[in-house]
Amino acid sequence: MGRSLSAWFEDRLGFSAVMGFLRKKTVPLNKHTIWSYTGSAILLFFGIQVVTGIMLAFYYRPTLEEANKSVARIMTDVPLGWIIRSVHFWSASAMIVTVFIHLFSSWMIKSYRKPRELTWMTGVLLLVASLFFGFTGYLLPWDDLSLSATKVGTDIPRSIPIVGEWVTKFLRGGDDVTGDTLSRFFSFHICILPLFLLLLLAIHIYLIQKQGISIPLGVEAGKEKLKELPFWPNFVYREIIVWLVLFGVLITAAVFLPPSLGKVADLMAPAPKGIKPEWYFLFLFQTLKLFPGKIFFINGDTIAVFLIVAAVVLFFFLPFLDNKPDKMKGKVITWLAWAAIAYAVAMSIWSLLT
Amino acid sequence: MKIQHSLFTRREFLNGLLGGWLGALAATVLYPVIKFVFPPYMEPDKVALLFSDYKDMEPGAVKPFAWGVKPGFIKKKEDGSYLAFVGVCTHLDCNVSYMVDQKKFYCACHDGWYDESGKNIAGPPPKPLRQLRAEVEGESLVVKKEGVA
Repeated sequence: MGRSLSAWFEDRLGFSAVMGFLRKKTVPLNKHTIWSYTGSAILLFFGIQVVTGIMLAFYYRPTLEEANKSVARIMTDVPLGWIIRSVHFWSASAMIVTVFIHLFSSWMIKSYRKPRELTWMTGVLLLVASLFFGFTGYLLPWDDLSLSATKVGTDIPRSIPIVGEWVTKFLRGGDDVTGDTLSRFFSFHICILPLFLLLLLAIHIYLIQKQGISIPLGVEAGKEKLKELPFWPNFVYREIIVWLVLFGVLITAAVFLPPSLGKVADLMAPAPKGIKPEWYFLFLFQTLKLFPGKIFFINGDTIAVFLIVAAVVLFFFLPFLDNKPDKMKGKVITWLAWAAIAYAVAMSIWSLLT
Repeated sequence: MKIQHSLFTRREFLNGLLGGWLGALAATVLYPVIKFVFPPYMEPDKVALLFSDYKDMEPGAVKPFAWGVKPGFIKKKEDGSYLAFVGVCTHLDCNVSYMVDQKKFYCACHDGWYDESGKNIAGPPPKPLRQLRAEVEGESLVVKKEGVA
């Protein structure tokens, strides 16, 4: 019965092609193989976000009047609601950390060189989507801290000449942060961004399957022999071990360090003291603070935002800039990666200390 | 007593350990998910009403009150004591109304009728309206579930 059932599906869907491909797929074994675990780790955290997010959406009420109260209810009244919210909170940060590790490791080993440019570029867009997930999610509890963080965050695009005002208005649903902003952010968080991310992810994963896992430069040049590991079942088993360890750490953090909930956001109240964005935006926050009010006759903020946007654009086109990865140019770009990490970490720590 | 051959192979032992552990892990993850998705019953144990609102009822009169999120009816009996019903039809959970002229409860969904003591007399309802106890305690008229002190 089982055999003929699978044969029935096979006749119509032809899935054996996919299974056959997965059985033949291999993962290169070299000193950089460890970084190949970061991709599926991101998927693990994202999957956890989807499941816990759906569950939270069962009880969360996305209106100005009820948002904070509904989160309080989830934390106190709903059975084990606190742990679902805590896992969602921690998995968000875990996902973003892993995205950054994944990104920097690809940068260092130059996986983005031909023919993998599109993989890198969809990857950068996936990073942007992840950060937007974090930004929109942060407002949803509608407490004093998240309101202030959103006010500051949505004010920053204003410094961009010409389009700035429109970007801010689009994000806020008006000139100010209001209940409309909350509705909009909720829509982004549970509908628009998931669709966007899933589309990008489909392209990203398809490219990886089609092109295979990249082989680092040294190996390619023939210095080391090509060693391979079968994807199924060997690499998958290893991935599952990694997932279980990561899951264990995540749950431990979630159980012992659940997030707090501030009091209801008051649109009339002054900004609370020591207001800071989420940790993954701290380095940008600190960068903006460094810029003086005016440089010559141009608004300091405008220059800062312009520089950041320029950096992101260069970042996006990195595969085309680093077209000689094994030469001096490539070494310089690797050094730039280290410099970027050092800068981001230093700025974040500085921001935390002040 | 030493047995000649092992009860299970090394593979079976390891598979059992691994599978058992993964099963326990799955159960640990599923438990909060299921508890979360099936929240506990929201009905109150008792509801305290202002007795002054119901003191001057005529014997035989029926007045509504809120039983948690459901409608309820307070009836003053001929002897002056109080009776309470949950105003939800026992057929398919529609809210019933009280027809003052006929002294009957009516469910509009499928034409169900209950008499003034809540007994189902016509239409599809299979059981009488659920009864609650109503007792005067000081300044409150306290409506309680059966079995609640």
